Amino acid sequence: MVRKLAIFIGFVLFFLLALMYFTPKENIYFALEHELKKYDVVISNEKIDDSGFTLNLSAAEIFFKSIKSADIKEINIKIFGLYNSISIQDIQLSQTASSFLPLNIQKVTITHSIFNPLNINIYELGDDGEIEGSFNLVEMALHIIFEPSELMLKKYKNSMREFKKSEDGSYSYDKTF
Amino acid sequence: MIKLSNSHLLSLLSKLLVILVITKALSLALLWYLPSDGVELSVQENYKPKYQRVDFKNMIHNSKAVAQKTTKTAVTSVSITNMVLKGLYGTKSRGFVIVARKSSPKVTTIVEVGEEYLGFRLKSIIPNGAVFTKGGKEYILELEKLKLQKSFINRVEKKSSSNSVKNVSRSDITYYSKNPTKIWKEISIRPLKNGRKLKGFKVTKVVRGSKMAELGLQKNDVIIRANNIELNSLKSVTDLYSNMSNINAIELVVLRNNQEKELVYEIN
Repeated sequence: MVRKLAIFIGFVLFFLLALMYFTPKENIYFALEHELKKYDVVISNEKIDDSGFTLNLSAAEIFFKSIKSADIKEINIKIFGLYNSISIQDIQLSQTASSFLPLNIQKVTITHSIFNPLNINIYELGDDGEIEGSFNLVEMALHIIFEPSELMLKKYKNSMREFKKSEDGSYSYDKTF
Repeated sequence: MIKLSNSHLLSLLSKLLVILVITKALSLALLWYLPSDGVELSVQENYKPKYQRVDFKNMIHNSKAVAQKTTKTAVTSVSITNMVLKGLYGTKSRGFVIVARKSSPKVTTIVEVGEEYLGFRLKSIIPNGAVFTKGGKEYILELEKLKLQKSFINRVEKKSSSNSVKNVSRSDITYYSKNPTKIWKEISIRPLKNGRKLKGFKVTKVVRGSKMAELGLQKNDVIIRANNIELNSLKSVTDLYSNMSNINAIELVVLRNNQEKELVYEIN
């Protein structure tokens, strides 16, 4: 009985791995680009590399309302079904954003796991500080906890007004879509 | 020797193969519904050439001389580096350019796309210049960077005292480009919309005695054009901002008390 169950789990795992490998990741990414276009966000000039289980994008330029907003060195997309993630490395924001926040972001990670299916988790680390947050898919609500850097607190006081300061000194931001 | 027909291995392999075929079929089915191309930024071609002042008076005055000279110069071999592009009008395949020789810059000639000038055929017009061909080779002649002449400035000042021409230091522009927060301490500007359409940018506050106040902008002015380009999108403003280092003169058109007013700045 145990042997049969082990064989069955083995087959299921093999099926999932094969499905991940054969999934047209590049075309799923194109579909994502079309969705982003609806919000006037365009990812342009990126190099796409499907490495079997992950999709890697490099040297991407982000445009918002046709205005160049950021340069991204590397984006790594994993679509495993049970666990999906988008990891973005080394983001350089456009000079036009310099009035609002520091221009260098080291890392952004967006993850979705079957163990927490109703939420998409967000993590960001940059010159602005550290952000941890989640997006609830049922309530369509974004909740962010922000630990600003000294630079952010000193030079970007206007942008900090968007966040609510809590008793423990951290800042939060909530928005429902 | 192992009998393959009885082998568990063969059974396992065939099952795995079936799984592979199923997953491949599923991915192909998924592929059917997914787009085959991504989204790339389609840059709208700006049919308006960059703002350049062309001395038409000069051109008309010398038109006779040009007409006489063209026949003589047609046979003379002139390098593209000895030519100056004074102005251009049109799209990529239609329109004309105004060119002159460096040795006599005031003697200008209008050349249409497809026509020849000093042995060079005008192939097309690009936003900042013109493409000429000669002997199978392509040459790009860029627009002359024009500095507003003192005579022009004086003329404007005499013509209308309400129109202002101001000198702006390039070092100030560089400083404000690097420290944009300083701009917003001295002036407040917000987009002015008419329904969903952007009409221009309204000045809501100017700090007295500041550099921004020296520019001549006043509260409630609506900036509608810059260098002959309608400011009807955020992109048009960021384009102007990113090209600031290449511009020698800025002409702003503002709506003040429902009347258009031109503000001209020479960048030194």
